[in-house]
Amino acid sequence: MMLTILAFVIWAAAWALNVRLARLPQRWVRLAVPLIFGATLLVVWELLVRGAGVSAVILPPPSAIASTFVRVFPTLWQDTVQTVFKGALSGYVIGCAAAFCVALLADRFDVLRRGLLPVGSFLSALPIVGTAPIFVMWFGFGWQSKAAVVVAMVFFPLLVNTVAGLRDTTVQQRDLMFTYAASYWETLFKLRLPAALPFIFNGLKVSTTLALIGAIVAEFFGSPTQGLGFRIDASRGRLALDVVWSAILMSAFAGSLFYGAVALLERALTFWHPSQRK
Amino acid sequence: MKKLMLAATALAGFSAPAFAQDALTLQLKWVTQAQFAGYYVALEKGYYSDENLDVTILPGGPDVAPPQVLAGGGADVMVDWLASALAVREGGLPVVNIAQPFASSGLLLTCWKDAGFTGPQDFKGHTLGVWFGGNEYPFLSWMSRENIPVDGGADGVTILRQGFNVDPLIQRQADCISTMTYNEYGQVLDAGVTADELTNFSFEAEGVATLEDGLYVLEDRLTDEAFADKLVRFVRASMKGWKYAEENPTEAAEIVLEFDETGAQTEAHQIYMMGEIAKLTAGSNGALDPAAFDRTVEVLMAPGSDPVITKVPEDAWTHMITDRALD
Repeated sequence: MMLTILAFVIWAAAWALNVRLARLPQRWVRLAVPLIFGATLLVVWELLVRGAGVSAVILPPPSAIASTFVRVFPTLWQDTVQTVFKGALSGYVIGCAAAFCVALLADRFDVLRRGLLPVGSFLSALPIVGTAPIFVMWFGFGWQSKAAVVVAMVFFPLLVNTVAGLRDTTVQQRDLMFTYAASYWETLFKLRLPAALPFIFNGLKVSTTLALIGAIVAEFFGSPTQGLGFRIDASRGRLALDVVWSAILMSAFAGSLFYGAVALLERALTFWHPSQRK
Repeated sequence: MKKLMLAATALAGFSAPAFAQDALTLQLKWVTQAQFAGYYVALEKGYYSDENLDVTILPGGPDVAPPQVLAGGGADVMVDWLASALAVREGGLPVVNIAQPFASSGLLLTCWKDAGFTGPQDFKGHTLGVWFGGNEYPFLSWMSRENIPVDGGADGVTILRQGFNVDPLIQRQADCISTMTYNEYGQVLDAGVTADELTNFSFEAEGVATLEDGLYVLEDRLTDEAFADKLVRFVRASMKGWKYAEENPTEAAEIVLEFDETGAQTEAHQIYMMGEIAKLTAGSNGALDPAAFDRTVEVLMAPGSDPVITKVPEDAWTHMITDRALD
């Protein structure tokens, strides 16, 4: 009971502190406020779980998850290699490259655009729980079937974004290129692709999380004995909820890093865009 | 908090009519099928209401972990395998076996005959399908007893985490898959494979069988006399249901079909399943056989790098309920 009360006291204190800090003009405040908020959440979680005596098979306290995370890190790292590097990344690269090439074709030939975009939207509407078991049957239990699921998931967002981006030039810009007697390829590389980059990066960023979700969920339908999805499913059956949470934490880290890497690349390549200017 | 909840329960008790039946919820290990025929027969035939019980049967499935439902208060009793129950118990959720309607194990490793396996040592270098989510323990124990590593390589076996179908065998993605005599083995035969094309390794015959479907409750609730009394009546009625199902497999299968809300089960498969299930429940009066329990523990603690449980479980079963239910 004491712990439960303490949890509420700490919550109120941290809230008050943040309200005060938020009024300060200093720069470090912008970093401190979310950090304090996150730390408070963890502390309150810990105290409530301990105070109310919640069973570890329902919700383990964060301290238990942290110590498990450290203990099983070598296993989780292997799982990450299997799921993120082999499954998600290879599928992401294949899917995005394919979508980009198809988008170029669709942009060049109007008949393809009208024919391919509906097929793309149809692909994206396929439910993953339906496609995953079929891909496992076709491509086997290894990472290949997971990569195939990821390809199907990331293809459409990038295709639509790239096609939209390639059309995002004004008549004056295109007329200018025309007066320079620029060829199709010159116009593409010097004007239209750079103009499309913000769209393309939108697609790429959305696809990072889709790729990770696809690779993890696909493992529920048959997998070797490693992988984040396998770990989550197998540990849940054993009621090792601390391992489940550790695997979730690991996927969240991997997903954030993946997203962050693409966002950094975006900043480097689209420095000219208003949204990136400081 | 506890007091408040007690008060709420007491209030609910008073407001209900005096003749109300005692409510009890049973969480099954898997979907509605003849594997659980005894409970459905007891419900349909009124054996539970004869004992003044109002039993709710919750079907399980691939997304349901019975111990978690039990821990969360979603059910009073669960059907689970002893291996998984003991692992959960060591993991900090004190579940206790109160009755054991299944005397023998129906777990098989079904292999293509042309793979030429004569014993477990022949598995080396091959791919085998195993279920996870608590069902992997008997297999892992068997491999560790045979000193076969399970992380792939020429000297070990590669494990496929198989889903709950038989495709990996049919498509030869694996040379062997896990099957239950009463379910997936029938599905392999239904897929057009004849029994001559297959070799079966029975966990029972290999001496690595672990006790399967038993009834479990949370340990601390057993001290509540009213709850214990409900369990006594529940076990008595359930065993009556099981013995009826054993003797009338076709009728039992039809009763199960009536309760299958998903409509996924077929009559022929359920009748087949009930026939196989009857072989496993035969010879059990509901009371757990301590020798079989000890054998399961021995299997699970088999020497090896990764035993399922690390210490001999104490007080993980009790005859307290069955002694009163079956005399």
